[in-house]
Amino acid sequence: MTKASAQLVVDKAKVSFSGFVAVSDLTLRVAQGELRCLIGPNGAGKTTALDLICGKTRLAAGEVYFQDKPIHRLSEHAIARTGIGRKFQVPSVFRDLSVRDNLQIGRSASPGVLSNLFRFRQSRDKADIERLAELVGLEDELGTPAAHLSHGQTQWLEIALILAQNPLLILMDEPTAGMTQQETKKTADLFCRLRGKHTLIVVEHDMGFVRDIAQTISVMHQGKLLAEGTISEIESNQAVRDAYLGSGGIGHA
Amino acid sequence: MDIIVSQLMTGLSIASILMLVALGLAVIYGVTGVINLAHGEFVMLGAYAAWALQTEFGMGLLASLVPIFIIMAAVGWLVEVLVISRLYDRLLDTILATWGIGVMAQQAVRLAAGGELRYVQMPEPLSKSVTILGATDSAYRLFILFVALALFAVTWVIYRHTNFGLKLRAITQNRAVASSYGINASRIYRLTFAYGAGLAGLAGALVSPLKSVSPEMGTNYVVDAFMVVVLGGTQSLMGTLASSGILGELSGYLAFYSNDTIAKALVLLAIVVLIRFRPQGLFTARVRT
Amino acid sequence: MSGKTKTEIVICAAVCLAILLVPVFMNDSFLLNKYARYLVLGMLAIALSLSWGYAGILNLGQATTFGLGSYCMAMALKLKTIPIHTGPDGLPDFMVWNNVPELPWFWKPFYSTTFGVTAGIVIPLLFAALLGWFMFRGRVTGVYAAITTLAAMVVVQLVIIDQQAYTGGFNGITDLAQFDVAGFAFDAYGSASYYLVAICLTASLFLALAVTKSKAGLIVQAIRDQEDRVRFFGYDVALYKIFIFSVSGAIAGLAGMLYTIVMEFASPTFMGVPLSLSVVIWVAVGGRQSLVGAMLGALIVAGMQGALSESETFLDSWTLVMGLLFVLVVLFLPKGIAGAVETITARFERRDPAPAQQPQRTDAAGAGTHHLESLP
Repeated sequence: MTKASAQLVVDKAKVSFSGFVAVSDLTLRVAQGELRCLIGPNGAGKTTALDLICGKTRLAAGEVYFQDKPIHRLSEHAIARTGIGRKFQVPSVFRDLSVRDNLQIGRSASPGVLSNLFRFRQSRDKADIERLAELVGLEDELGTPAAHLSHGQTQWLEIALILAQNPLLILMDEPTAGMTQQETKKTADLFCRLRGKHTLIVVEHDMGFVRDIAQTISVMHQGKLLAEGTISEIESNQAVRDAYLGSGGIGHA
Repeated sequence: MDIIVSQLMTGLSIASILMLVALGLAVIYGVTGVINLAHGEFVMLGAYAAWALQTEFGMGLLASLVPIFIIMAAVGWLVEVLVISRLYDRLLDTILATWGIGVMAQQAVRLAAGGELRYVQMPEPLSKSVTILGATDSAYRLFILFVALALFAVTWVIYRHTNFGLKLRAITQNRAVASSYGINASRIYRLTFAYGAGLAGLAGALVSPLKSVSPEMGTNYVVDAFMVVVLGGTQSLMGTLASSGILGELSGYLAFYSNDTIAKALVLLAIVVLIRFRPQGLFTARVRT
Repeated sequence: MSGKTKTEIVICAAVCLAILLVPVFMNDSFLLNKYARYLVLGMLAIALSLSWGYAGILNLGQATTFGLGSYCMAMALKLKTIPIHTGPDGLPDFMVWNNVPELPWFWKPFYSTTFGVTAGIVIPLLFAALLGWFMFRGRVTGVYAAITTLAAMVVVQLVIIDQQAYTGGFNGITDLAQFDVAGFAFDAYGSASYYLVAICLTASLFLALAVTKSKAGLIVQAIRDQEDRVRFFGYDVALYKIFIFSVSGAIAGLAGMLYTIVMEFASPTFMGVPLSLSVVIWVAVGGRQSLVGAMLGALIVAGMQGALSESETFLDSWTLVMGLLFVLVVLFLPKGIAGAVETITARFERRDPAPAQQPQRTDAAGAGTHHLESLP
């Protein structure tokens, strides 16, 4: 596979924290419109892998290309502006602001100070925001401060923020944590709809959820890429089975 | 030769006072994350306590050190219970609250003892001067140096080699986890704050014979102490020791060679630059956040 | 426009109108001058509310920009006194005393009042922008940002005191001419100066309100809430902070200029630690997240202090009471009086039978709720 055929290329990436190597020699290629699941036992470096793509942590070695441009030296906001959005493991929204204001922040197509200085609440924004709130079931909570939402609602709000941002590549870190089975099902449906229009990389522990959504799965172990393939290939892979042995099998990871 | 030694000794003397004042601030900030802007006023209260015990009860400075430590530790304990303990989840506000406490302490002393300068007698046996390597120095300044090092050693031993210190380090690492193992974080914070305040009181009492005692004296000390802590790194007692030494020698040198105002401005600029480029201090390693 | 925004605009307009009407009912020139001074301090509080309340940058050196504005105006007004209060070569008196041979280059443009007024806004703005750039590009936040602003202020003040020959040193710049526009002079004790201050205050308040209600203002609040999250939406966090910090500096600079006009001098105490910390108190008491609250906080607290300062013993105990009041506000009213008022009205509104109430809203009153702010 050449660099040109993949939208995102992580090439031999290495991340270390004062000597501790969290990720080493990681290579990932994700095509445009693909939905990629990233799994692995605890401490495998999955979250760090997302961090190094969106610029939250810096590479000690290696490169990251997005749409054929190197992005690993850009600052976080510059990376986001190339079209990369991130949902965090601990749902991370603006707790002092209302749901509506949160969604306003999410709509970041023009992120400059000056362009936002003369922008007040516009009717086009309003319609879009209500549509998004409806999509994630928060249409009755538009005026509620985000601090007063339940955990599940907060997860949905952050997903809605990413949708408002409308990035080309969406990085999702455990989007279903704290969700009920029904909500998880709803999330799976949503992701399947997003696939194709957006590229998604989803870190997930819930194998049921992974089975529902995944096309290709990448398995990480001890900071390295262990295997890559379809769900059945991964489930029959001996190295993957060995890696999960300590943690009670792949289903319970 | 003796000019160098005497310059060195001046620096050491300034360093020992810096260290006395900074140690309490460093302990409190390192453990609880609270920047205690009332620290200078704790120092001031210690100095006034020494003055009051001397003029009212005729107590010598050395004899009054233990009662002063206890009184100031009690003051610190009270402040922690009444104010600080409610603010651990909004640390920026502790700056404001402790500053308010400082204002109150200053004004209360001004009302109670008057705004004029007060003087504390030096202990008789220490008021002589001694000669080291050809340079003369006051015995009292050497005594302060000795006490400063001793207090540092005591703090170090508590921190590194006692059960209390172990709990303390655990809390500094992660309060929630430490609490879940049954460590009473609130109590440890309270004791830490009291200990830091007690140290500040001792510092005030010890410097009182060297400088005039006034309600405003604390303001300069808190700036100096803060500099030491920022330079030394907030998590490192050894850093506090090293940075007191560096700053002491440096200010001895600056005071000798240049204009006082500009020296002060330069030191402040140095702090600003240090915060910008090495917020973790000079003596701490970068850690994963 | 939401109902809350409308209420805010109405309240601001009502307060400004009341302020503008004061001279109609009162023409004691001494009192008018005193009130004008409080209004200037109210502007300073608005400036701090912008950076502290909205952006979360606790500026302990807000008086730096205030003082810079004050000095710019004083320099322009000093040069207008030539030849009355000046030496033989048209030099300001203090320069003659310090044996300065000729007017330094940086004083010369201040012969133009227009330049002076422009500089009184632009220089504080640039200072704030530069300091902001230095801090926020390096991600200095929280307590460290507060200390940096404080240290930077003391440095500026020390330099101004030290350079006595060019700045008047500790005495500041005194014996000034009256400020005038096209021949109309603003007497510090006349109602014209009061109106000038009141109009500038109204303009600053509505400018600040517009900024906070824009999307840029919303982003700034999001940065206060969770700075690291905002970056990942593509917003340049440092730039937004520099922007709000500069606007705050410009408003403070304007206030400083007006202060020189009503006080008739400029002094290094205008950029001192006591004034800076007083502003913090006013804003904390009034409500840091409400522009009009912060402004009223300044008027009330500074006004009370002024009223009590007539007697020495009162003033002494007043400082003690102030310290206590401040600690109590920090502890129990983290959002100040404005926050408390908002909580109470919210409680009243909820008593009305509202059919579409959501269960989550019953605890919506949590003005005092705070979550963990971690140190940098």
